[in-house]
Amino acid sequence: MQAKHTLITLYDYELSGNCYKVRLLLSMLNIEYTSQTVEFYPAQQHKTSWFKSINPLGTLPVLVDDDLTLKDSAAILVYLASRYDKSENWYPAGDAATLAKVTEWLAFADSITGSASQARLAEGFFYQLDAEACRASAHQLFRILDEHLWFAEQQNQPWLVSGAEPTIADIACFPYVILSEEGSIMRQDYPAIRRWTDRIKRIPGFTVMPGVFPAGPAQTT
Amino acid sequence: MNLQLAKQQWQPIAASTDLIPRHVFHAQLFGRELAVWRADDGHVNAWENRCLHRGVRLSIGINDGRELVCQYHGWRYANRTAGCTYIPAHPADAPARTICNNQYPVIEKDGLIWSCMADDQPEYSSTGFLSGEKLVLRSIPVNATVDVLLEQLTDHADNRDNINLQSTNPHATHVSLSINDQHDNHQIDFFLQPVDSHRTVIRAILSGVQSNTNESDKLHNLYRYNTTLTEIRELAENEMQRLETPEPWEVVIKPVSELLAHMPEASNRANGLLRVKVASTDNTATAIKSLELVSIEDQLPTFHAGAHIDVHLPNGLIRQYSLTNAPGQTDRYIIGVKRESHSSGGSSYIHDSLKIDDVIAISAPRNNFPLRRDAVKTILIAGGIGITPLLSMATAMHHSAQPFQLHYFVQGEDHQAFSEVLSRFETSLIVHTALDPAETQSRLNEILQDYQDAHHVYVCGPGPMLDATRSIAEKNHWPDNSVHFEYFKNTQTQDDTVPFTVSLARSGLTLQVPSGRTLLEVLRENNVDLPSSCEQGACGTCRVAVTAGEPLHQDVYLSHTEQQRGDCMMTCVSRAKTDSLTLDI
Amino acid sequence: MSSTCTNLCDDLVILNQWHAIAAIEDTSSAPSHTRLLGEQLTYCIVDETVRVCRSDADTLPLPVTCAYGYIWTCLGTPLPLFELPEYLESDRTNVCAASIGVRVSAPRAVENFLDMGHFPYVHTGILGEQPHTEVREYDVEVTEDTNEVIATRCRFYQPQAAAGAEGGMLVEYVYRVPHPYCSVLYKSCPDDESRMDVIALFVQPMDEINVRAHALVSVIDKNSAPIAIRMFQQTIFGQDKPILENQLPKKLPLDPRAETPIRADKSAIVYRRWLSKQGIRYGVIPAAA
Repeated sequence: MQAKHTLITLYDYELSGNCYKVRLLLSMLNIEYTSQTVEFYPAQQHKTSWFKSINPLGTLPVLVDDDLTLKDSAAILVYLASRYDKSENWYPAGDAATLAKVTEWLAFADSITGSASQARLAEGFFYQLDAEACRASAHQLFRILDEHLWFAEQQNQPWLVSGAEPTIADIACFPYVILSEEGSIMRQDYPAIRRWTDRIKRIPGFTVMPGVFPAGPAQTT
Repeated sequence: MNLQLAKQQWQPIAASTDLIPRHVFHAQLFGRELAVWRADDGHVNAWENRCLHRGVRLSIGINDGRELVCQYHGWRYANRTAGCTYIPAHPADAPARTICNNQYPVIEKDGLIWSCMADDQPEYSSTGFLSGEKLVLRSIPVNATVDVLLEQLTDHADNRDNINLQSTNPHATHVSLSINDQHDNHQIDFFLQPVDSHRTVIRAILSGVQSNTNESDKLHNLYRYNTTLTEIRELAENEMQRLETPEPWEVVIKPVSELLAHMPEASNRANGLLRVKVASTDNTATAIKSLELVSIEDQLPTFHAGAHIDVHLPNGLIRQYSLTNAPGQTDRYIIGVKRESHSSGGSSYIHDSLKIDDVIAISAPRNNFPLRRDAVKTILIAGGIGITPLLSMATAMHHSAQPFQLHYFVQGEDHQAFSEVLSRFETSLIVHTALDPAETQSRLNEILQDYQDAHHVYVCGPGPMLDATRSIAEKNHWPDNSVHFEYFKNTQTQDDTVPFTVSLARSGLTLQVPSGRTLLEVLRENNVDLPSSCEQGACGTCRVAVTAGEPLHQDVYLSHTEQQRGDCMMTCVSRAKTDSLTLDI
Repeated sequence: MSSTCTNLCDDLVILNQWHAIAAIEDTSSAPSHTRLLGEQLTYCIVDETVRVCRSDADTLPLPVTCAYGYIWTCLGTPLPLFELPEYLESDRTNVCAASIGVRVSAPRAVENFLDMGHFPYVHTGILGEQPHTEVREYDVEVTEDTNEVIATRCRFYQPQAAAGAEGGMLVEYVYRVPHPYCSVLYKSCPDDESRMDVIALFVQPMDEINVRAHALVSVIDKNSAPIAIRMFQQTIFGQDKPILENQLPKKLPLDPRAETPIRADKSAIVYRRWLSKQGIRYGVIPAAA
């Protein structure tokens, strides 16, 4: 039997979409953890020397599991899925092409963070950023995402990466898409994205955060 | 371009495939936002994208397959009627029946969903597509006016040898191109959906596709035209950079009715009769027949679990029957009728003479036995045919995954009605068969053992059983307002000997009610219109508020507490203990 | 697409009000920027003096008052700011709990603050929980002396009324609207039955349809750390935000036929009438005369 190790700690800020990515996967994998709040806004605790001693980059989230400290949401998702998901669906390491596709979408998720999340920071949290430019980039990305998802639907593929089950690619892209309207990036023009977000909300273990509504029950046949 | 003409026409608002189950599509046409959703029965609803209560978009709401639920306060609106079926802030009231969202006409044809903003819609006429299979291309939203897009589309056709502009319709939101290359002979019909003054969705249908085309060739076509349309979008949006962006179209939202603008008390008023057809009947149990009623004119009105209708039989009799189906089911009403051994012509007519396709008149549903959905625990107790209103309640709770227990007391197994519906409730259903009165009482005592806050019991059945249930509940410390009941009829002895005077506070009338006449009759004679239904003190429809004097209650509708409070009465049977009464009508 | 509204305010009732623009503790000597009633403002604290002025010109400094943890300014001739005596009680913890941007008009934000019916749906598990959805009868009046809207005897089921409390209970609330864009909520205090915790909402109208919602929380509970209070309030505001941003129209319609009130909305009805009576036009759609 494995030695019982200490609980995972997540350095967390509730309104952060990047932290939400990790909370989602922890919940979907049913992993127990403790949350340590870092007040990102307005106190900027992530820029304090206390927090920088944990993460010199001063970014959230940070995950600590035994001796391992991880400081990037994508890295944390990869770690959690590889270590704790027995089904190996969330991070399908066995297949080179699939794994590369997942990685491609993780990079895409970072682009969404760089645009949609920035617009949200400008609108809701008064960051001095060029919100208009962020919105324009986000719309370019959303057009690509919607097109991808529409053609996936045509081929009965519900998720970002082909296969019957969702992967961490979906988890990485979801938060700043679903929070985009807080940055005045409307999703009305992206019907395939809207359907995909409904599907994600119905994954067992899904949790909400402020700004995200729950979905109703799926149709049972 | 003048889009006024286009406004009179059917315009696409979505693709059929956009409306997957349990999803709400966010559409827009001529500036007006629409929440478009498909119910589990396949019906497509196109509603104003706005909850009537506080204006929150319904496109963020929940499609539960039968009702659309607003995220803000949980108001529920029914499939087809758009009528509000439940207001959680006031769980004990049935919503005023007239709370109804604005709906827009909708047609599903040729793989698209169409709507029309004109008051008088023309007939929908299908486009002349090429024969063979049709492919609905991926829709492309463009930040450009219809004019700019049209120009780009026609330029595109003009610049290519293999593409010919076939026609544009006079309203110019429809463009048809024919495409001929070495393999294919296709036609593409573009429908430019005017979303807003400077936003347009290109929807397109490719026809002339050979019906034996395999999936990968179809996909190839979808990709190919998606690329073309994306290019056209880019050109149109570049063109828009040079132009001034027009102001968004102004949308006028219809005000709610005068009646709803005031803070309402729950209203159960119903007027006018509806004509319905008997679509099917079923001998669901010994001496119990169920009738499926469908409208022959309009959509049937929204109702709330626990509601009943008056059935006007061709022989002149009027009888009350509870609706057994759940509020989300709006395409029919289902009632259950027991043949009474001493029928005075109502139930026997239904059993012996009423046939499929017969047309009868019914009242709009009234609800004096509403289901609260804020209970921690709900117990439903049915005796015999008393199952009917409780079946509606159980189905409503079953749909929304709320816990309940349905206790069904029957004489024998062959007396159990609606078995098919009941079987869905699985362990929530407990059937008690062939108990004598003493056994029934002891069983009821077990059921009502443990009262706790926010527990509610609903009971409907024969009079003696209701009386027993109410007194057992009282002994077990159930407060009056947690015990809900509906009697079939009032078997109490009525005393109509003592005359009295009534003053009507709002109408300014003072009237004498002589012995032998009811208050309701006297009011009617003096043109005071009051709704009524059973006229024997059982259904609660003719209730009025009393502001002075003490009523002599002779009904079986009000609870003991309500009767003691003396602030309301049933005008059909109740009278006065004091010489006079003042009523708030 | 973002819509900011550049119209300047010509509504004298609103122009002559004090408006909160920032928490004092979040303000430093480095100039910060914000918008009020469509105008760009710059503010800072230098040598313990708060300065607020219009950004576009070196005009005279604007009037400033510091109250309830926030900096308040006025673009017209200021009327006295409403009283909030609890703030000064020595045994209270006062926390500037959140300042969040919301794309809605100020009166819509205030109306949402007065509303209990949304607790089980929007603040699920925190301020309410299904199936406990009933809004019980309560009283609303406009006070004669101070001309404030007051709602009393408000009770709503709260799943976890106090930290560590088992099960839910009915919590009692009193609401005050002492300012067209501000509201104060008094809530039964779990530790001391005779006292009330205070949560105040100060809405800064950046323009007619964009606001900054500022919260002041004043509690008697000595055990609540300010950071926990701030995170709690940010959660609540974060949950309200997408609802408010999806309200159509964004301005509050004062015509009674624009929306459908129910008995639970008594306080909102009185608030709308009260705004109408004062002739307020900014952030609302006035009822047709």
